[in-house]
Amino acid sequence: MLDVQGLSGGYGGIDVLHDVSISVEAGETVTILGANTAGKSSLMRAISGLLPRVSGRITFIGADLSAQAAHDIPGLGIAHVPEGRHVFKEMSVEQNLMCGAYCARDRGDARARLDVVFDLFPRLMERRKQAAGSMSGGEQQMVAIGRAMMSDPSLILMDEPSLGLAPIVVDSVHEAMGRINALGVAILLVEQNAVMALSVARRGYVLESGRLVLSGDAAALRDDPGVKRAYLGV
Amino acid sequence: MRLKPTGILLLVLFVVAVLLPLGLDPRGNWLRVMGTVMIFAAAAQAWNIMGGLANQVSLGHAAFFGIGAYVSTLLYINFGISPWIGMLIGALVAAGAGALICLPTLRLTGHYFALATLAFAEVCRVIANSWSSVTGGPVGLTIPFAGDAPMLFQFRSTVPYYYIILALLVVVSLVFWRIQVGAFGYRLRALRETPEAASVVGVNVFRTKMIATMISAALTALCGTVFVQFTFFFDPDSVFSLTTISIRLAMIAIVGGLGTLIGPIIGALFLLPLEEVAITLLSSQASGVAQLAFGVVLIAAILIEPRGLVALGPWIMRRLKGGQPSAPSDMTAKGETNV
Repeated sequence: MLDVQGLSGGYGGIDVLHDVSISVEAGETVTILGANTAGKSSLMRAISGLLPRVSGRITFIGADLSAQAAHDIPGLGIAHVPEGRHVFKEMSVEQNLMCGAYCARDRGDARARLDVVFDLFPRLMERRKQAAGSMSGGEQQMVAIGRAMMSDPSLILMDEPSLGLAPIVVDSVHEAMGRINALGVAILLVEQNAVMALSVARRGYVLESGRLVLSGDAAALRDDPGVKRAYLGV
Repeated sequence: MRLKPTGILLLVLFVVAVLLPLGLDPRGNWLRVMGTVMIFAAAAQAWNIMGGLANQVSLGHAAFFGIGAYVSTLLYINFGISPWIGMLIGALVAAGAGALICLPTLRLTGHYFALATLAFAEVCRVIANSWSSVTGGPVGLTIPFAGDAPMLFQFRSTVPYYYIILALLVVVSLVFWRIQVGAFGYRLRALRETPEAASVVGVNVFRTKMIATMISAALTALCGTVFVQFTFFFDPDSVFSLTTISIRLAMIAIVGGLGTLIGPIIGALFLLPLEEVAITLLSSQASGVAQLAFGVVLIAAILIEPRGLVALGPWIMRRLKGGQPSAPSDMTAKGETNV
């Protein structure tokens, strides 16, 4: 479904990605592991059209993404949950979610999508009139994920959804991912928390200094001595 | 629909504004002062679309104000075109100018954007000063007096101008309100808060900012035309002025309440009379004392309540209701409470 071939790119004169090739199949959960500054977020941003300069080929269900502006990507079925959540703080939860439906392929569906999101996160239903900025980190993460789900995506890019969250909240985000995946939405997940990432993902890639160094099934990566040492802390 | 306190206040202000000429001397100074207050409220409201809703703080709105003034007046003087039509053409030209400055500047934010717009307005001022064959240069332009000629936007009495200005303020405020509560307003608020998240939910950041700029510029140009029809004389330094137009518009909106409907109206009602009083009372003392006092009051106002005078509203309401401090209303989203 998503196919990235020989992707290089970066900001200004500096390349942060070098010849990266990955793919995500429909309905699959795939994770990208790597240390800080390995280029994980840049890879996500490249797919969403937010990286200023890219070369290589990114296709999604046959469409060439590199020719698309960032604001046209969600219409193709890719939603992005940015690192640091970036909820619209002054807006209510519901307004945040409705902004996500802005480019839903079928706009009449926005109300129905809202029910799907409230089903995923009942907490957001209770708090739907509250200003998103006044919520806890975990709740804001739910808003960000919910907003992404509002565009009825077939692929959702999640950039560090567990960053800065309490362990118990990480569990609920983790569990939500399973349910989103069960709805048939493919997930491309970037995580510092490799244990969590490898437990939800079926496959994974490891990035180091902008280069792909390893890929394979989640189980195989979990057992890889290098991955164990570098990312699993065992 | 339940009317919120600000809605009621706006309604009261509107009724007072409609009735005011009945109680004021039609030849007196006060009616003219109120007309000026409302022109600046309208222009600050237009500024507020860009500065408040899109958070693109412009210090160059004099450019659009002056374009409105010059386009309508030059069309009238040279071709006899009624300023009513010239006003609309001026608005179109200003919208075009707004689109033009967007191309290089919209990727700028914050101070950089403010400085770029400031430079643009200064360039307009210099051009108007030096291109004497068309603009009359530093001598300025005088609108030929035609007596009572409604079709030519001229009246002997102040009263018709007063009501035209009031209508202008209502129109600009309605446009602001429509944008604020509509889908376009959501796009602006989304990109104001976090442009990246806005673009990944599908907001075309560049186009949205550009449309906001064009609307803001066009409405500001309308104010420019009305202003010079009201004053009959202007020169480049008055309509393209950094201090008396560009900064004043930003000040009115910021002191009143950035991004709120009632903010520029309250701001203009507070600042302009204050400025008048400061000048009347203090300019005989020593030159500059009036401006200094005015500046001190401004700084004090911003220090006391950085969110603007509108933020004092809830406090006043509590006092009126009997002084019982209620729970913080900040738990609901701004969109629901702010008008």
